[in-house]
Parts: sequence; C-alpha cells; structure tokens
Amino acid sequence: MKSLNNIKTAVLSIAILFSGYHGFSQGATKGDLSVALSYFSVNNQVPYITAKVKTKIDGRFQPVAGISLKLFLDKDSTGTFIGKVTTNENGEASTTIPVSVKKEWTTSTKHIFLATFNGNKKYYAAKGDLTISQAKILIDAGSDKKITASVLELKNGTWVPVNAVDVKIGVKRLGSDLPVGDKPTVTTDSTGTAAADFKRDSIPGDAKGNITLVARVEDNDTYGNLVIEKTVPWGAKFIPLSNFNERSLYGTRYKTPIWLLVAAYSILIAVWGILITLVVSVFKIKKLGETQA
Amino acid sequence: MENSDSIANNKIINDLLPQKFGKAGKIWTGVLVAICLFGLYAYYRQLRYGLIVTSMRDYVSWGIYISNFVFFVAISLVGSLITAVFRLAGVHWSTPLTRIAEMIAVAAIIFASLIIIVDMGSPERFYNLFIHGRLQSPIIWDVIVITTYFFISILLLYFPLLPDIKILLTFKERSGPRLNKFYGYIGSFWKGLPEQYKLGDKAINILCITIIPVAFTIHTVTSWLFATTYRPGWDSTNFGAYFIAGAFLVGAGSVVVAMYVFRKAYHLEKYITEDHFEKMGRILVMLAMLYLYFNINEFLTPFFKMKESEAAYLNGLFTGDFSVVFWFAILTGMIVPTIILLFKKGRKPLPVMIAGIMVVIGAWFKRYLIVTPTLLHPFLPMHDVPASYRHYFPSWEEWAITFGSLAGVMLVITILARIFPIIPIQETITEQHEIAE
Amino acid sequence: MEQENNSRRDFLVTGLVAAAASVVAGCAPKSNVFEAAADEQVMPSGKKVKLLSVDGEVIEVDAAFLKPVPHMPPVSNSEARIGIPGKKFVMVIDLSRCKNLKKCQAACNHAHDLNPGENWIKVDPMKNSEHSAPYWEPTTCMHCDDPPCVKVCPVDATFKRQDGIVLIDSDRCIGCRFCMAACPYSTRVFNWGAPQISEEVAAQPYSCETSIPQKKGTVGKCDFCADMSRMGELPHCVSACPNGVYAFGDLNEDSVTNGAETFRFSDLIRDKAGYRLMEDLGTKPSVYYLPPVNRNFPFESGLETDSLQNPKN
Repeated sequence: MKSLNNIKTAVLSIAILFSGYHGFSQGATKGDLSVALSYFSVNNQVPYITAKVKTKIDGRFQPVAGISLKLFLDKDSTGTFIGKVTTNENGEASTTIPVSVKKEWTTSTKHIFLATFNGNKKYYAAKGDLTISQAKILIDAGSDKKITASVLELKNGTWVPVNAVDVKIGVKRLGSDLPVGDKPTVTTDSTGTAAADFKRDSIPGDAKGNITLVARVEDNDTYGNLVIEKTVPWGAKFIPLSNFNERSLYGTRYKTPIWLLVAAYSILIAVWGILITLVVSVFKIKKLGETQA
Repeated sequence: MENSDSIANNKIINDLLPQKFGKAGKIWTGVLVAICLFGLYAYYRQLRYGLIVTSMRDYVSWGIYISNFVFFVAISLVGSLITAVFRLAGVHWSTPLTRIAEMIAVAAIIFASLIIIVDMGSPERFYNLFIHGRLQSPIIWDVIVITTYFFISILLLYFPLLPDIKILLTFKERSGPRLNKFYGYIGSFWKGLPEQYKLGDKAINILCITIIPVAFTIHTVTSWLFATTYRPGWDSTNFGAYFIAGAFLVGAGSVVVAMYVFRKAYHLEKYITEDHFEKMGRILVMLAMLYLYFNINEFLTPFFKMKESEAAYLNGLFTGDFSVVFWFAILTGMIVPTIILLFKKGRKPLPVMIAGIMVVIGAWFKRYLIVTPTLLHPFLPMHDVPASYRHYFPSWEEWAITFGSLAGVMLVITILARIFPIIPIQETITEQHEIAE
Repeated sequence: MEQENNSRRDFLVTGLVAAAASVVAGCAPKSNVFEAAADEQVMPSGKKVKLLSVDGEVIEVDAAFLKPVPHMPPVSNSEARIGIPGKKFVMVIDLSRCKNLKKCQAACNHAHDLNPGENWIKVDPMKNSEHSAPYWEPTTCMHCDDPPCVKVCPVDATFKRQDGIVLIDSDRCIGCRFCMAACPYSTRVFNWGAPQISEEVAAQPYSCETSIPQKKGTVGKCDFCADMSRMGELPHCVSACPNGVYAFGDLNEDSVTNGAETFRFSDLIRDKAGYRLMEDLGTKPSVYYLPPVNRNFPFESGLETDSLQNPKN
C-alpha cells in the first residue's frame, strides 16, 4: 500500500505539472475523469476486466472515448502489467488477463486491479482500482425443475462455500435474463447454495426445447461479476414461423403477389401491344406513301 | 363547281394554317418564357439546398407541387374526352376542338411528370424507379400509366395531323425552312392515298377506344396515391370517381378558355362558332353538376357521422382554417359556373369563357384542399416538432415553380399552336364537303 | 513462467469491449442465441492466444474471438435487408411510468446523429376525450407487421425484415415521401435540407442498421436500433429511460426487458392489458402499450419538459 501511495503522489504531481503547463499555454480548463473497473468471470473460464471512463459535463456523467489506460495486477510495475486499453465511444474498454502475470495471479486469492491514465491535453491524470477475491459459481438443475447455484471462494488453495451472496437465476433472453421464478434474486446459505424453482413452463426454447439457465452474481463488492450458464431441455419446442418470404403487398419487388403480377402485366402487354401495332401502322402508312412516290 | 370548291378550300387553308407570332404573340411567349425561367431558377435553388427551400415539413410532406401534379393530370384528361368520347359517339361538331384538346392534354401530361420529379427529394435517383421499381407501389402504377398516357396522347395528336402535314408542305412558303424540314421529317410520306386513310382512320379509332380506359386509369391511380392511405379525407372509396369527375370538369373548362383565346387571337370565329360555346357550355354545366354531386357524396356522409379521426379535418374545411378556400372552391369551381351556364345567355362565348376560368381556378384550389388539410390533421397530435411544422403556406420558391409549370403548360400549347394548325384543316374541308353534299 | 510479447498483447487487448461476449462464446461450447448472432461474423483464425483462467491455468483461445466487436465488419446492405433469423423484435411502452422526461428522445437523437429539431421519438400529450385523463404517450416507429409505408415504397428503399424491423435504405430512397403520407403514426421524418452533422459522420458509408448518416432528400425514422440488437444490446431509448418506460425483447423468446427488470412478454401483456395503437387500421404494430393506470407520476410533472419543445403559441 505504501508504494502505491508513493506512486499516487508521483503521478499526481506529474499531473499537476502537466496541467499547469497546459493551463498556461492554452488557457483551457481540463476535465476530471472517473475510472471504474469491473471484474467478470463467465463460466469460470477466462476472466476479464472492464474499465469505464466518465467525466462530468453540465452536472451529468458522460462516457469518454479514446482514453488510454494502463492496467496492472496488484502493484504498479512492469512485471505486473496486464495491458494497455483505449476506451471506445461508450467510454468502455476491456482486457483479459495475460499469462505473464500468472505468478501474481496464482500466489494470492485476493487481487487489486489498477488502472492509470497519465493525463492528456483535455483531462487530468486519473486512476481507478478494484479489489477482487477469486471466486467461482456453479449451477445445477435438478429433474424436479429446481435450480441451485453455489458460490465458492478460493481460500488457502481450496474452494469454500460463501454465505449470503445475492445470486440472480434466470433464463437467458435477449439483452437480459428472465427470472425463473417470482423472485429475481436468491441468497446463498451457509453451504454456499441458493435455490430457485423453475416457474417458466412452456417458455419458448430452441427447436429442441432447450433453454439456457443463467446464475449470476452481479457487482458484488468482494467477488465482482460471476456468471455461469447451463442448458436444460425445459423450454417449449419453438420453430420461428416467418412470412418474410411470402409474396405480399409489403414484400420486396421480388415478392410481388402473383395476382398483381398477372393483372399488371396483362394490362401492360395489352395496352402496349396495341400501341406498338399503331406505331407499326405509322410505318405501314409511310411505306405506302413511299412506294407510291 | 370544282373551282368554287378549291376557292373555298383555299380560304379554309389560309385561315387555319399556323401563323407567325404577332406582337401580342411575342409578348405573350416572352412573358411565359420569363416565368418559366424564374421557376427554373427557383428549382435550381431547390436542387442546391434541398426541399428545405419549400414550406413543406414532416406533417405537410406534400404541398402545392402535388396539388399541381393532380391538377395537370386532371387537365390532361380532356384529350380523351373531346376527341375520343365525342368521336366514338359520332359527334361531329367537336372536330374543330379536337386538336386544342389534344395539345392541352400533351402539354399537361408533360408537366405532370415534370412536377412529380420536382417534388422528389432526391431527383438524381429518378432512375431507381426503373432499376428498383416495385409493382406493389401505386407510384409505380402512376409512372407506368403516365408514360402510357403520354405516348397515347402523342399518337392521338399525331395521326389526325398527318393529312394536315401534307397541306402544310404544299404551302411551304408559309413556314420557314426549318419548320418545313420538321414537317417533312414527321409526315412527308402522307400522300392522301385511300389505303393510307384507311390505316389512319383505323388507328385513330383504336386510339380513341384505348385512350378512354387509360385516361380513367391515370386519374384513378392518381387518386389512389391518396386513397391507399389511412388519412382522414383520403381514406375514401369514392376517390377514383370523384377525381375523374373533377378531371373532366377542369379539362372541359380549360378547353373553353383555350377555345376563346385562340378564337380571338387567330380570328377563328367562322370555325369555332357561338354554337360551339353553346354546346361546350351545356357539357360544362353537366360536368359541374356531376362534380358537385361527387363532392356532396364525398363530404356529406363523413359530415353526417363526424368520426373522431375526421372531425377536426372536416370542421377545418367547413368552418375552420380552410373554410374560405373550401367554399371559394365549391362556389367558384362548381356552383357559380353552373348558374351562369344554365342560362342561354350564359352560354355565349364570353360568359362561357369566364365560367371556364372560374372552373379552372376553382379546380386548382380544390386540388390544394385535397392535399394539404388532410396532412395537417394526422391521427396523432403534431408534437415535439418546430413550430413551422404545424402549418403550411408555400414559399416563394414553391410559388415560382408552380407558376413556372403553369406557364410551361401554356408555353407548350402556344408552341404547338405555332407549329401545327389549331383546327384540323383536312377534316374541316372534308366536313364542309359532306355538309355541301 | 510464460513470457509473452508485450506489444502483441497490447494489440490483442486493445478496446476489447463487448467482445467479452465473444470471448466467452469462443471458449465455452454453449453460446446463447444472442451471442450466436455476433458469432456468425467471426471465423476462427487458427491463431491461438494464451490467456489466464480463473484458476490460474493457461487457456488457448482463438485470436479471432478476441477481436473487438466495433471492428466487426459492418453488415452488408443485403444482410441488413434480411435481418436476424429467428428473431421477432417487440417493444412494450408502459404509459403508467412516463413523465415526459424525454431522455429517450435525447439518447435517440444523439445515437443516430439526428439533425437538430428532428425527433424520431415523440412524446405526445394525449387526452382521448373531454372527461378522460391526460397521459404522456411516447411514440417510436411501430415496426408494423403489415407496414403501410413499405407497401407504398416505389423502390424498396424501406423494407420489412424477417426479424420484424422496418428499415430505410437512404442510399436508395428517392424522397417521394409517399411512406410519410401512408404512415398513420406520423413517425417518419424527412431531411428537408442537408443534415447538420459533422463531416466525419457524413463521410461514413450509410448503414441501414444504424441509419447513419442521415442524407439530404431522404426519409428517416426509428430503426429499433437494429445494430444494437445485432450486438445483443438494448436500443438507446430503452437504456436511457430512468423510469423503465420502454421494454424491448424478442417475441420468439417471450421476454422483454427495460434493462433493470425482465418480464415474460405474454404475462405482462395479459396482466396489464397491453394493447397496440390504432389496431383497427390493421397495421399490426410491433410496439405494445400498457395503459396509464396506477401511475408513477402525475401528468403535470411532464409539462415543464414539454414546454421546452412545444412553446404555447
């Protein structure tokens, strides 16, 4: 922690220096940035970290794009460098954890992620950090349509159950999870498990009736975001019906209704047929006149 | 006998051959060209800055351009009325009026298609209509039917013209070398042979039969551009017939005006007689009453019900913002002309012409009322839009383009009348002979 | 101890945003349908990258799955015209929650780089009859299943996709505005003049799914944020609304979400008597409304915001 504070001071003083210099040369006011980090572990596979950078404009936080952040694991040094990321238009950037920090990652179960921004012409330097304890989430779906999710924490090399963690259990849907029961969240007990009954009978699944169950720990202060999925055949078999390719009045030009094609083309052919014979008769008249001459 | 015939023929030919513009003709043409050029300038501005130069906005997304389009389509219907309907009915007195009607039809249909391009936001993509055309869209139907009608109108102008071309070519000294070359190009082969007459008459008969359904289609399809939507005032099964009745009326109105002007300008009193005005007056009064009938049919039933979605629109027309224009259009376009023309004295040339002008002006405003008030009464409130979106008064560019197109129609008619005989010469001669015998 | 080349790692992890989803899909054999949509674009490159797992084990992942989503090749015009198979997007607007904050509108305008003054989302003050109570009614494009606008388009510039979304191809539109006349919901807007957008935005190739950039002389409208749905995210209006007025989802999954809450669509519509606007016209909208009962806010709370855009004359 001490070294961290030193760095903080150093960075701050550099930032002040920078800002002072630019303040003189440009006279522009610089903005403050807030850097928020989140930790995600999906299906207990590859964890990743997301940074979200915002600034306050007119009293409202707005995302900032194009901010380069350096991310470190546990301490701010080259050996623990995770990566450099740049925020997108939503002010977000993500990274996975590289193999180079394996030593730090495995030696402790509690980690601090650090993000530093060195400042630029528009913004002062900023930093953010996040402390995470390594945890994993498991899901089990019983034949009685009971779903249990367990949250386990890594302690001294073994996974031990965690009590009183809020878990959301739902069915994976577009952009969100539909809670499986009436209550959106359930809390783990002393065995680290939280249970919910599946009450979404006949919810549409895929062609085989498969649906994806999701258990989720969201924005937990200690464990971050943990997600696990499991596919179960509890849904209704669903094959989407689409009249997209049918011929209709709102169809594309290649999907014109047959009756319209027949009607339109018969009228067109009839009328233009007549007109063409009339044009032909002009030439007939012309020929008559020319042979006479 | 032979001799007196040829003297009479020469007199007719001399009277009816196209004449060079006099001073008045030159001023007239010059003014029309100037108005057209001003319209072109306005269109240049519109091309450069976009439709933002108009007063049309998201709610009133169609304005006087579309009104004008409907107006021109309506006027163009007259070619089929005077030529085809009368001819098929065996009416002969209309012969001197046929070419005027055909010229008006051709001029109006040209500008109908031009004004629809003017209305487009991206006219440079006009070709998309041909490479991506979708048969489900009434606009494509309109494109097809306007093209067809234009072509038929040209043919209907052309076939009866062939015998006159021969006469024009025999009086070469009356036209310049360039005109003669043009005449020769389009009709030097006409020798007046019986076989040629046979083919020509047959062609005209076929055209007269073909043009009537096509003319009905062009105007019905134009009405469908509105009637295929859900909007109050447009969502009507009466619309096709309502439009056709209105089109016959304005077409006939424009013909009587043109008759009067040509009669005065070219001293054609012997050919376009008071009797013609008398007869056209009767037709006009019949058509005005027919159109009035369709208007009552169109407005009385929704008024009786006053559906929520239509109430604001109908009240706007009857007593609200549009009431002045609405009652003006009804009175000027139908009721007053009817009253004038019901009297025998009202069917003299001048009052018929005045009634014709009233019909045409009333018809233009009627087209405005068909388009704009409906668009200003959408189903959902006009909200979260700039204040300028909630009302509509055309910008100067729109007026300039509109007047430019109106001038353009008259210019095309003027030019056609300069090039071709206003009254079919050969047919007049033939009919004189028939009467004599 | 594995030593990795730092510069290469920098390249790999740069701006790996929503790619998180792709990363998972890459390693986990079971990926959900929504990610599958994104996955279709990604072909394994054969180049493996070593990454650290939760347990500290080294896992090899195909580099292609680490590509950040924003750099995913933009969908072609023909793909954008077909839409995402198996989907049927649907929106539910809960009128009891709306207080006319217009955050939806602001987010929409920003996301689509709309011309100032142009709104795809409008929030109308509605009062159906003299003695009925007023309420705020946000309107988007209804993405009708029998779309009157698409019916009348002469050049296939506006089209209906298999996932139910109605989009506009501004590179095709001729600006005849027939669709605007045909739409009973007055949802379509026109770019009367050159849009006031930055040159950078204007220089982009037009995409039907993002509707960017708007072009002079063409029609624009709400696109249900087709690009967001393709990435598995919610439309901007949905995520911008602090009151959860909008819920978006897939009818084929029978689920809609406003970001915070997720509902089973059929239950929600049944329990709250959902309806669609102007059902009698037969347009079959994809947007459902929940009636303004048990309101969260009084109608008057929205008047102030409203007066900013709709000054009393």
